[in-house]
Amino acid sequence: MKNIFGRNFDWHLFSIWIILAVFGIIAITTASAAKIGDEIHLKNYYWKQIIWLMISIIAFIIVLKIPLPILDMLIYPLYLATIILLIIVLFMPPVNNSRSWLFLGGVRFQPSELAKMMMILLVSKLIAKDYLNELKMLYKALSVVIIPVFLILLEPDFGTTIIFWGSLAFMLIQAGFPASYLVIIVSPLIGLIFSFNWILFVIASLILIYYYYRESLSWVLIAFSTVFNTFIFILTPVFWNTLKAYQQNRIITFFNPMHDPLGAGYQVIQAKIAIGSGQVFGKGFLQGSQKNMNFLPEHHTDFIFSVIGEEFGFIGTFLLIVVFFVFFNRIIYLIKVVSKKEYKIAISGIFAYLLLQTFINIGMNLGVLPTTGVPLPFISYGGSNLLINSFAVAIILKYSEYRDI
Amino acid sequence: MNQKSKTVLLYRIILGAIFVVLAYALFSLQIVKGSQYKEIAERNYVRIKSLEAARGVIYDEKLNPIAVNNPSINLYYKPFLIKDKEKMADFVSAYLPISKETILKSIYDNRYSTFNEVILCENIDYAVMAAISENLNYYPELFFKVETIRSYIINNHFTGYVGRINEKEYNTYKDDGYKINSLIGKSGIERYYERILRGNAGYEIIQVDAYGRNLKIFKDNLSKKPENGLHIVLNINLDLQKYVNSLFPEKTAGAIVVINPKTGGVLAYSSFPEYDQNLFTAPISNEQWSCLIDDPQKPMLDRVINGSYPPGSTFKTVTGSFGLEKEYVNPQTLLASCIGGLQIGNRFFKCWTSYGHGRLSFIDAIKVSCDVYFYDLSKNFKLNEFAEFVRKNHLIERTGIDLPYEKKGFFPNNEWYTKRLGKNFGSQGLKANLAIGQGEVLTTPIQLCAYYAAIANDGIWKKPHLLKKAIGDRTLLYEELEENINKTLPISEKNLKLIQEGLWQAVNGKNSTGGGARVNGVKVYGKTGSAENAHGDDTHAWFACYATWDEPELAIVVFLENAGHGGSMAAPIAGKIISYYNKNVREQ
Repeated sequence: MKNIFGRNFDWHLFSIWIILAVFGIIAITTASAAKIGDEIHLKNYYWKQIIWLMISIIAFIIVLKIPLPILDMLIYPLYLATIILLIIVLFMPPVNNSRSWLFLGGVRFQPSELAKMMMILLVSKLIAKDYLNELKMLYKALSVVIIPVFLILLEPDFGTTIIFWGSLAFMLIQAGFPASYLVIIVSPLIGLIFSFNWILFVIASLILIYYYYRESLSWVLIAFSTVFNTFIFILTPVFWNTLKAYQQNRIITFFNPMHDPLGAGYQVIQAKIAIGSGQVFGKGFLQGSQKNMNFLPEHHTDFIFSVIGEEFGFIGTFLLIVVFFVFFNRIIYLIKVVSKKEYKIAISGIFAYLLLQTFINIGMNLGVLPTTGVPLPFISYGGSNLLINSFAVAIILKYSEYRDI
Repeated sequence: MNQKSKTVLLYRIILGAIFVVLAYALFSLQIVKGSQYKEIAERNYVRIKSLEAARGVIYDEKLNPIAVNNPSINLYYKPFLIKDKEKMADFVSAYLPISKETILKSIYDNRYSTFNEVILCENIDYAVMAAISENLNYYPELFFKVETIRSYIINNHFTGYVGRINEKEYNTYKDDGYKINSLIGKSGIERYYERILRGNAGYEIIQVDAYGRNLKIFKDNLSKKPENGLHIVLNINLDLQKYVNSLFPEKTAGAIVVINPKTGGVLAYSSFPEYDQNLFTAPISNEQWSCLIDDPQKPMLDRVINGSYPPGSTFKTVTGSFGLEKEYVNPQTLLASCIGGLQIGNRFFKCWTSYGHGRLSFIDAIKVSCDVYFYDLSKNFKLNEFAEFVRKNHLIERTGIDLPYEKKGFFPNNEWYTKRLGKNFGSQGLKANLAIGQGEVLTTPIQLCAYYAAIANDGIWKKPHLLKKAIGDRTLLYEELEENINKTLPISEKNLKLIQEGLWQAVNGKNSTGGGARVNGVKVYGKTGSAENAHGDDTHAWFACYATWDEPELAIVVFLENAGHGGSMAAPIAGKIISYYNKNVREQ
């Protein structure tokens, strides 16, 4: 055992990971159960997930055993392989209007999951060099991200691309890229979002200018950014009006599911009813009634959180988010103690990638975020998802053996 | 603060913020509003109730109904409300003709969709419903719904029938609003015009609590009224249709189709033996099903569009047209003298009569249907050119009639024979056989009828069709629904006149074969056919004809399987149809 688990092996993170995975298997069991009279019928999802957990543990051990130089050498070829998979997947039959699944034998697999991890590993390798200036850093990172993002947008899968950009931002900041520059890059979004209300736009712009001033950015840059944002602010309504009504509706529904109460909104309403009706203690294991309704076709995958909410109540959901909090807090601790810059950057990327998925998924179940088809890490049913997320945790554990202290 | 601890702090702030937001949202949803949501969940207050659209009625041209909707009491259950499935199955099977096993299987099949409404039995007798209702208190999972059942006024092969959607159809059409219990057109007009007949279901949104208060989860009243399906008016004349049905000799299989050559509209469409489509609107029992399937006369087969047969001598008009168009013959040419047959190579090809016809002109050859004339004519034919000519007369490809699953005709070419017989097949004998509509050539009655209609219509071929128009909230004419309904036959006006003259003589001339179809006061043109076939001792009897008054108004094909000669069996039936039409349909 000593060979696998080194001196600095982080048992804390490993244990929390196991707790989450077991939590997931319990949730999947109940989510795929149906009751008629006193009989309980279980679909076989839960033992498939158990098998995937076994496979994940094996992958885990392999990652920990592989010597670092070899892992390092594999990053480039694996990245190229994912790009090829992302192209192949575009020719696959669509599932829920998106060509994101690859079918190999009886196994389904989303190449975009793997792409996220490979992107993180490659970017952290490239931008960790000390001699890079900001422009070069940005250029290197973007050149890695742009192709997979473009391919994933073709599928189309917006939720995943959001996670790509989020991870990238965290990695850049970790690498020393000034946050104020990042704000400048993202700030045109403010023009876009506030395009309907010029007062809010002016207030937001003033706050930004004050922030840039505090960060002592050059006045030329501040002026340029502000003018550009104003330009976006003016153009957005013009562009919006050129869209067809159904395109506008689709965008509005994306941000506000209740705009389409019989489609996306209906799922959100029923998910909220499920979670709310669980109250403090929940209806009990296998006792939920909402999950059986056909309103949630993905109740063992994307909407599993609502099943947990219904059957285990506030106690269960709160416990789950506490476990997630402890999990992420431990990763932050590891970022702090890891010695090598490249590893810090990689762990930050993984941190952002898992955190964003968790937040987007739970937010979607609670009806506060758009419905995007992002699964809940370690909990939702899905073999490839569990495997990749476990791979990510294994990478953190491997890198975190190199510590300052 | 250095850079390093600054980023870590940033991470902690982001994580903390996310945690607080989620914890607050959960607290508010599960603890503050929990009891409200619990009530909504338990009472199922918020749901979408589907409002079915009424299916359009199918009428004949005079608006006499052919397919209508009758009320039907149906029994459903909801799996999640079942307390004791054995008891429930015993109870239901005691009153209704479904076995306990069927009920238990249905429950098992629906074990993962326990909130669905699953249908158990349709078209339940009122008295049985009353008896079941008395005990319904003990079985909260059972409930009745008054829906409709499709009912067909006459047995026929063109309306088809509707049935419950099956799994494959459901997976294909679920995006169009079909539910697991939906009715869907399975064949015939019901299937071809499914979209028009079905309409669009509406829905009602229910969001009131136990006190009748609006829960305001859906802001507006989003209910949508169902749009009923359009009614379909066919070109079929129900009186004529019934009369045609009555003309079939007993225990004979066959097809009769009547078309208006000017429009292509189908006035009567019969295939015998018939079957009762009403058997299919409710689940059909195994005995009934095997009875229909095992019947050697195949009552389910629609012989008008799905049966393809050698056309026999009715095909001689095609052979003749080709000879005229290619100038192998002209009206004056006399070909080999008929001595009851013709020697071709080492085989003697018989004429249908052993007495012999002597030397004949083109028109006389059609009149007496002399095989030898057409054997001799075919000597010069190039097989592939001939096949192409047949195709251009629309006797190979589907006519495009507005019914699903239409069958093609068939005519062989050199490549086809090479595949079967090897490179050096002798084509003379094969061509001679094809020239009189025997051998490999196959046509469906509808193809032949459309072809004779085109001869009547001076060479303009009209796509045969049943639908006249769809009426209801809006009116759709056939011409608005279908494209390319006009084509022309590949024949010059002059040669077409000769064919028409030949067909006139074949009915009205002295010693003609089709004399049985003569009708006083009506000009009848037609051609008999007696096609030898592998399936029986007797020939298939054919008669293809058209009748004109000021204009051509009828094109008729009568086809009787293994019934004997076209002249004696089929032509008199066509005569009766024309006569009936003249007296009872035209003069009204």
